[in-house]
Amino acid sequence: MTGTSRTERGEAAGEEAGVGEPAPRDGVPPADALLALHRSGTLAARYPEAQRLVAELDGRELVRAGNLLARLDADETAGLHPGIPAARVAITGHGTLPDLLPALTAQLARHGILLRPFTGRFDGYVLELGDPGSDLYAAEPDLVLCVLDPAVVFDEVAVPWRPADVERAGLEKIGLLKGLATAFEANCRGTLVLNTLPLLRRYTAQLVDHRSRARLGALWRELNARLLHLCEEHERVVVLDLDPLAAEASPASDPRMSVYAKAHLSPDLLAAYAREAGHLVRHLTGRTRKCLVLDLDNTLWGGVLGDDGVDGIEVGEGHRGEAFREFQRVVKQVGSQGVLLAVASKNDVEPVRKVLREHPGMVLREDDFVHVVANWRPKPENVAELARELNLGTHSLVFADDSAFERWLVRSEHPDVAVVGLDADPALHAERLLADGWFDVRETTAEDRVRKTRYRDERARRDFLHTFDSIEEYLRELDVRVVLAEATGEDAARVSQLTMRTNQFNTVTHRLGVPEVRDLLKDARTRILTIRSRDRFGDNGTVGALFTRWADDAVRIDGFLLSCRVFGRGIEQACLAAVLRHARAGAARAVYGAYLPTPRNGGVAELYPRHGFARAAAPPGGPPGPDGSEGVAWFRHDLAEIFTPPDHVHLTDELGGNAP
Amino acid sequence: MNTIDDFVALVRDHLGLPVTAEDAERTLDQVPGWDSMHLLWLLTTIERETGRSVPLPDLLQATSLHEMYLLAVDR
Repeated sequence: MTGTSRTERGEAAGEEAGVGEPAPRDGVPPADALLALHRSGTLAARYPEAQRLVAELDGRELVRAGNLLARLDADETAGLHPGIPAARVAITGHGTLPDLLPALTAQLARHGILLRPFTGRFDGYVLELGDPGSDLYAAEPDLVLCVLDPAVVFDEVAVPWRPADVERAGLEKIGLLKGLATAFEANCRGTLVLNTLPLLRRYTAQLVDHRSRARLGALWRELNARLLHLCEEHERVVVLDLDPLAAEASPASDPRMSVYAKAHLSPDLLAAYAREAGHLVRHLTGRTRKCLVLDLDNTLWGGVLGDDGVDGIEVGEGHRGEAFREFQRVVKQVGSQGVLLAVASKNDVEPVRKVLREHPGMVLREDDFVHVVANWRPKPENVAELARELNLGTHSLVFADDSAFERWLVRSEHPDVAVVGLDADPALHAERLLADGWFDVRETTAEDRVRKTRYRDERARRDFLHTFDSIEEYLRELDVRVVLAEATGEDAARVSQLTMRTNQFNTVTHRLGVPEVRDLLKDARTRILTIRSRDRFGDNGTVGALFTRWADDAVRIDGFLLSCRVFGRGIEQACLAAVLRHARAGAARAVYGAYLPTPRNGGVAELYPRHGFARAAAPPGGPPGPDGSEGVAWFRHDLAEIFTPPDHVHLTDELGGNAP
Repeated sequence: MNTIDDFVALVRDHLGLPVTAEDAERTLDQVPGWDSMHLLWLLTTIERETGRSVPLPDLLQATSLHEMYLLAVDR
């Protein structure tokens, strides 16, 4: 998210490791291996290894790991490992937050990200967010965690008090926070995280009558609801609801820490908060997962299909059967929001199909999955095949299996697959799956609701392809139609999502939030062009975007990205040629294209050279994108001779005269 | 945790502070890397690792790691 991170030049070692369970390492438990690194003074030097170890820790071991890692100088670690993606996170709030920094350091490490913290002053949030000249804003954070606690309100209430006094003080604070959110959006490009205030018994029980307690409970929740609604008025504000976390972390506050040290939220609650914040950072750095790959036997149903038969498996009825059914309901719910579902199972395919089609206890059916792989090959092979079939990197996959052996195999072969360990009790499956928010995003778009269909159309295309002798013939018959148009405000959510999700065909890999896309749309020199495509199998929707900018008498392509579903069909050539033609028509002297290598976008390294661009010095107009990036390679096209794009692509150019 | 050495090891391996047995006798302002946040981490860590409750006001007044150790064990 910072110079190095937002552009995601993650070295292989910095890739997110699967989370949550130990892998054999010559018999040394990961916590001990981490401690050995600490004791030998090599934690910083071997940070990528430390991150992989932390990914296997939980509970107290994770707390300790956070303490050890938080002691390191983050700038020094970043200097030693420029390839590790980093996130600049500012921590501010009302009380002291002793446990948050180590907990957050550990959570980000689990996801292969280095925390570069800015820690605000005690109770400094009003000045730090309200003053445009504050040190917090000077630190240019990607994310600001403004941690609020119930004392924010109760500190302002004089004794004796009635519920109405609490309401008055609360409403004042909400007003203050609204102002701070507005100031934040004016002064910082990052994301502000606020949170609801847990109501503690230590307050409610001070009221001796139940009627007043109920009033306090009701008005407190109204205050929290107002807080939660702030994220509707402020696009770059996220409000974490602490109620679900407080319901599971016990206790939410330690009175001794609260009174003596002004630490009003308990270490356990802050650890849960840090976990959620970690998911948010993972999303903002473009590492949200796209596909959930599930085992079948003892994952989606109880028993072994091959041994027990279609009628013998447990699903739908009986204690365990109901638990599996509940898990399937959760999976279906997750799948309804744009997450692709797939199966990788060691089974014969026919009985699997029979269960998916006919078993009365099943919630999930064949058409809930984009792909079902059932055979007797090793699972890592099947996982790799799934990734190929769906045209996704293995870093986009989450793999859930009840077998520790299978999980270990997949983890060993594909270290960047996130592996979810399910155990023998199916009632715990859903919690295990949901614990790490693998698919969390800021918001979903219309595209998410039709994604499964798009991938299914894609399979039809592939089957169609197999009926042709040559790719050219296939592409001609595919009847690819492309519309290149200037983006409007309505496209902002989808364009942002493309920048977040696209890893392979993405020339510069800048992750942009919706407000950042809107800012670019307002910038008179910048144009965002959307690429929509359709073919004989259906509409692909908005599949790509080009970020162009006039600088002096040249046009720069600061970013070019295309969904992995559609590249390789000539769409990229058609769009690139159109941009070149428009630039020439607009009397540009040249067009420049930027390329910033990441571990995932090697496929577009030759995009510009292959289409008549030559390596060149950086053009005027600054770095591509708002945050500046080292390591960008520039290519220049002199517009003398523009290549002819493949004639099977029918391009409708809606750019008008002056674009790009 | 039975000895001051155990305590120093806990500070070193749980909080990550590079302290020695000699540092335990120094006043806190002379302990390398010490700041007030560590005291709160230490309280949580001691209670978590020993299952014993430590009086925080006394801990806040302790002037050296050794005094903290005595508070952590002598109850």
